[in-house]
Amino acid sequence: MDTTNITNGIGKSQERREDFRFLTGAGSYIDDMNLDGQAYATVLRSPEAHADVSSIDITEALALDGVLAIITGEDWKVAGYNPIPTKSAVRKAIDGSDLKEPPHHPLAIDRVRYVGQPVALVVAESIDVCKDAMELIDVDYDSLPSVSHQSEAIKDGAPQIWDIAPNNICLDFELGDQKAQKKAFSEADHIVTLNLVNNRVTAVPIEPRGALASYDAGTGKYTLWNASQNIHAGRDTIADAVLGIGKENLHHIAPDVGGGFGVKNGVYPEPILILHATKLLERPVKWFNDRSESFLSDTHGRDQVSTVQLALDKDGTFRGLRTETVGNLGAFCATVGPFTPTGGSSRTQGGPYRFDAIYYTAIAPFTNTCPLDPYRGAGRPEGSYQMDRIIDYAAAQLGMDPIELRRKNLIPTEDLPMKSPMGLDIDCGNFPEVFEQTIAMSDRDGYDARVQKSAAAGKKRGFGISMYLECTGGGPKEEAKVSFREDGKIDLSVGSSSTGMGHETAFAQILAGHLGLEIDDVVFRQADTEATAIGGGHGGSRGLEVGGSAVLQTSREIVEAGKKIAAHKFDVDADKVEFSEGHFHVPGSNHTMTMREAIDAQNDPDMLPDDMEPGALNISSVFERGIISIPNGGHAVEVEVDPETGTIKVDGYWVMDDFGTIINPMLADGQVMGGVAQGLGQALMENIVYDDGGQLVTGSLMDYAMPRADDMPRMVIGYYEDAPTAKNLLGVKGAGEAGCVGAPPAIVNAVCDALKDFGVHHIDMPLTPERVWRAIEDAKAS
Amino acid sequence: MPLITVHVNGVETTKEVEPRTLLSTFIREELKLTGTHVGCDTSQCGACVVSIDGKTIKSCASFAWQFDGAKIQTIEGLANGTELHPMQEAFRTHHGLQCGFCTPGMVMTAVALVENNPDISENGIREGLEGNICRCTGYQNIIDAVKTGAKAMRG
Repeated sequence: MDTTNITNGIGKSQERREDFRFLTGAGSYIDDMNLDGQAYATVLRSPEAHADVSSIDITEALALDGVLAIITGEDWKVAGYNPIPTKSAVRKAIDGSDLKEPPHHPLAIDRVRYVGQPVALVVAESIDVCKDAMELIDVDYDSLPSVSHQSEAIKDGAPQIWDIAPNNICLDFELGDQKAQKKAFSEADHIVTLNLVNNRVTAVPIEPRGALASYDAGTGKYTLWNASQNIHAGRDTIADAVLGIGKENLHHIAPDVGGGFGVKNGVYPEPILILHATKLLERPVKWFNDRSESFLSDTHGRDQVSTVQLALDKDGTFRGLRTETVGNLGAFCATVGPFTPTGGSSRTQGGPYRFDAIYYTAIAPFTNTCPLDPYRGAGRPEGSYQMDRIIDYAAAQLGMDPIELRRKNLIPTEDLPMKSPMGLDIDCGNFPEVFEQTIAMSDRDGYDARVQKSAAAGKKRGFGISMYLECTGGGPKEEAKVSFREDGKIDLSVGSSSTGMGHETAFAQILAGHLGLEIDDVVFRQADTEATAIGGGHGGSRGLEVGGSAVLQTSREIVEAGKKIAAHKFDVDADKVEFSEGHFHVPGSNHTMTMREAIDAQNDPDMLPDDMEPGALNISSVFERGIISIPNGGHAVEVEVDPETGTIKVDGYWVMDDFGTIINPMLADGQVMGGVAQGLGQALMENIVYDDGGQLVTGSLMDYAMPRADDMPRMVIGYYEDAPTAKNLLGVKGAGEAGCVGAPPAIVNAVCDALKDFGVHHIDMPLTPERVWRAIEDAKAS
Repeated sequence: MPLITVHVNGVETTKEVEPRTLLSTFIREELKLTGTHVGCDTSQCGACVVSIDGKTIKSCASFAWQFDGAKIQTIEGLANGTELHPMQEAFRTHHGLQCGFCTPGMVMTAVALVENNPDISENGIREGLEGNICRCTGYQNIIDAVKTGAKAMRG
């Protein structure tokens, strides 16, 4: 793929064009939008983890002044809509049978299966009336035994959540060569085993989920403004698969969205419910979650329990890797839920290290908990944690140096391109160099002195490193549409969507830079099913890779069309015309025409060659990615642990990333730093906890800890830019998720290094002060 | 219903409010100043921070009727037309925001921090922003923005 001639506008820390409105309070998020005659909706949610709904009495609530409608599971049954389907890319179990997909209706029908599941929708003149009405709805629940934990759910005799899924198993999965793995294990000198918990967390975008729906009875068309990351796919599922209204009748738009991180990617019950309500009432209907509801109903992430085994020789050479995982799905198959612990977690097994063989298996059971779906990384953080934790654990068990162990086993550059044992196409990169640069930037020379200083204060200092390898994902296609207005403005519409990543800037930077036009003239539109025919939304770090490439492809096609206009003016063949820095010219002549002049000429038939129609520079182009790219890099961390209290201070953080070409370093840094914060949160404090009765214990920000400004270290970030990929036009490898992939193992490795003298070599995340203190005390006692 | 008069961003407004109406709801729904955001229901996230008579409060944790006669500044009252306040400008320069949802509360808190302590240290900034959660940035660029904003505010 041609990645040359992309210099204009690339590599510059362009300030963001969206910031003025965000900084002045002029952003337009869902809850900032209101329509004339609008009604409000709230959702009555199940307080039971598993129960039969024997009756719902809405009489008193309906009689309340201002209540417009109450919709229950009975109404939904009568309406005859289809359930919300899963779009998991992995759909077959190991024996070839289909995954078990229970019917996921937006409202519980006859039985509830997790705390927070929608039971009724209340629509009223105000939110306050909705809330008063919810108090008056009388639901009789007959409690059933429930199961919260995946390891319990698969045991014989566990409560059965769905008749179609014996032992609650949705599907199982394998990848890799089991025979080769067994052979490698039988030949290796050592086999080290480590049991790991990848804790259940949730994304907590600061804007909760919400939507606003309207219906035009005259045309039969619906409009849905939705705090969503995936407008086109969401439209297809909601309109075609669930409601059966035809996707042409649903205009789906995401306005400014206050963070997503994967949790706003899937199709949720509430927007579907308010679409039903808006038609029923012929009034716009708005619904907006509060934070407590978000904890109950936003899909959760991670939640895997795994056994990892590393086979290696006496000299430290890795031979084989075996991972078995049990990944919680919650009560239903969410939009891509079953994919995460299976395909999603398997692909990057082994990281950037060389192995004879790898074999991965997974079991994905249902539990009486909120459904799980992608959260930033979705499977790659789990794989990275498994790989880089077991290296340090093995080093501790075998008396080896974890840094040397990595150095010895990184895939050498001469092996690239290669197919990994998991089938991943690793086309380019330089893992040994990235590793050495990570070490070099992390101030190792001063380390011993800092260890002494910590020791003098009664503290333990530790150093940890991880070398992550990940892969991008999400929809492979994106459309970029450009049209030039007579007033000089340039409309740019792209199907992907930004929830804070800065597409409005980066995409305009690519277009304006390539065409030699002013970035301020670009008017950006995204995440709107009527702006572009297709769109892949946001997910899998695909924004620049697919969306940015589409913008560049359209830009190039505009240049080619512009050459014909210039050639017509110059009276030469189009292939004689060249374009650089915003000018068409013919080498060896003094012919010159600016891009702006060509744009002005495009509507004047006299200025166009015979085979060109007016408006020929208004071009829409679809870029399709063939193969996903392989971002990779190193994280290094220094921590100081107080053994008396178990508190951890993250005292130094260094990252060296290979994202291929860097388009806007400022935005790339922002992605890395935000990702590291989420990885640090998972490693040290964040934890979604259900009790044995299926009640959510961590249902508010008072209970669910998130990193604050004083929890974060200063991060130093560098980029290895000598390995741009040829898999897309920009040479980029997705940057969005890498931070939270590399951070957890590096941080836990650093803490275990600090505590090695106590004999503590593993603690399950999150490493709260209590857990760290107990691990130290337990080790002392033994 | 209580009748209250407030001065919001220099404009005097008199309105009836229900006793249960939160200040954040009053600002957003009655005054249509939607820059003040609500990101939680336990006064943890800080997206709703506004300034009352020079002191910051979380507007989701107070009732509107409590503020009869108060001078309220929201994020909409910080810039002078298209000229950003130095703290807003510093957030832009340092990429101290991504999705923008926590930003109004973060900027209002930062301005008050610096007004109360013009020479605030990095640790002081980090501790001072404890009541504001940002999920996008990892805080580093926010800290750098507040440092630059403080310098500009000192003049």
